[in-house]
Amino acid sequence: MAGATISPSYAANDTEIYIVQGLPGKDLDVDIDGQSIAQDVKTAKVAGPFKVKPGSRTVTFSENGTKVLENSFSIKEGSKADIVVHLPASSSGDPLVTVYKYDDVKVSKGKALLVVSHVAAVPPADIRVNDQVLFANIANGESLELMVPVATYSVSIVPTGETKPVFFGPVNLTVKGGAINRVYAVGDPEEKTMNVAVHVLTMSTTGSGKPSEVNTGTGGQAVGDGPLLEVNLAR
Amino acid sequence: MTRLALQSRTRRRTGSRPGLRRFVVSLTCVLAFVCGCSAQAMPGGSTSGDDAPRSESSVAPARQGKPAASQQIEFTPEQLTLPGKATAEVLPASTVDGVLKVPENVDHVGWWDGSARAGELFGATVIAGHVDSATEGIGFFARLLRVKVGDTIMLQGDAHRLKYRVTSVRKVAKKALATDGQALRQTGPHRLVLITCTGNFHRDRGGYDSNLVVVAKPLGLAR
Repeated sequence: MAGATISPSYAANDTEIYIVQGLPGKDLDVDIDGQSIAQDVKTAKVAGPFKVKPGSRTVTFSENGTKVLENSFSIKEGSKADIVVHLPASSSGDPLVTVYKYDDVKVSKGKALLVVSHVAAVPPADIRVNDQVLFANIANGESLELMVPVATYSVSIVPTGETKPVFFGPVNLTVKGGAINRVYAVGDPEEKTMNVAVHVLTMSTTGSGKPSEVNTGTGGQAVGDGPLLEVNLAR
Repeated sequence: MTRLALQSRTRRRTGSRPGLRRFVVSLTCVLAFVCGCSAQAMPGGSTSGDDAPRSESSVAPARQGKPAASQQIEFTPEQLTLPGKATAEVLPASTVDGVLKVPENVDHVGWWDGSARAGELFGATVIAGHVDSATEGIGFFARLLRVKVGDTIMLQGDAHRLKYRVTSVRKVAKKALATDGQALRQTGPHRLVLITCTGNFHRDRGGYDSNLVVVAKPLGLAR
């Protein structure tokens, strides 16, 4: 698809961040607490993971030596977070940083957790998946999540309650099972810079496999063919 | 308490230098922001920190991503109510060696922990329970033998609820259950699938030859 792809990494207990670059037309350098961690991160790319110390950290984005913006964020020991630099809802505003954390993520075995986040210069939007609105009315800085079967989905972004103008897409998105699949809508449709950044992170999963048998009768009483031990149907 | 102590220590060290007041104010902001006074919040931990805390206090916190109001509710079922208000506790049930381990207690039913949670958009929420047992007699799911198309079934859990309407009641040969298009599949539109045993009871084998499969469609969204 049009967006970035990054090899999924395995969730361990390190305190880690990823940088999601949502500012169109910029190659950004990234510092954490004044130390360089990444250079020339291109639009719609995901960089990382970068180990950081737990606590309050300062992230600085700059381009060609000029500071673009700087924000602080806090992260707990063993946590992971996406640090997303992006446009505000109105493209005339200043860029901002939104932090999406990975705390308490549960993914069902064999399924994919699909999380769509709106970090683009557009008003509240609907995300249409296979021509259905699966994610309704998301504003800048918000996200919606769904557990979905592993498959390829056609995804497009439209204004809330409308079918056009299409801000972005449709693009085909193949989700990975046993993983959280984060899709960030970035850019500005008026500048024709809409894009998606995709960050796939494999997680430990919950649940057991599909049974081949369900045995739920060993007495025969229900068909009058067993010892009637008790009559409790009348409760 | 700690903040006051730090301030007084700072004051002692910096004496009456100009800008002290501004420094103390900015330091207070920093401490309030990080909710604690670990050494990390005090760069260098020395009197040379005059510049560093001021620049740090000017850094605004990043915004936190949050769920949109339209986030759909999904919950693990904890209670099931059949027509006539008959209610059973729902416990998680795992597949072990290919067999779903439903609760031994025939008054309880088991939610296959690999199936959809109530309110998910895709896949079956699978709940199985005993029709009867050699040691405990008639089970709660003997009531499934009387469930009809159109009946309402309710799931509750985590202070949420979702009602379903029964759309089919079928007998499926046990060996065909795993490949049944509706019963266990985790694709396709969300549905509730209730499973127990039915058909001919084979005393020699200690079990029935078929499963009873009740499929129900959600009535709206979980709330």
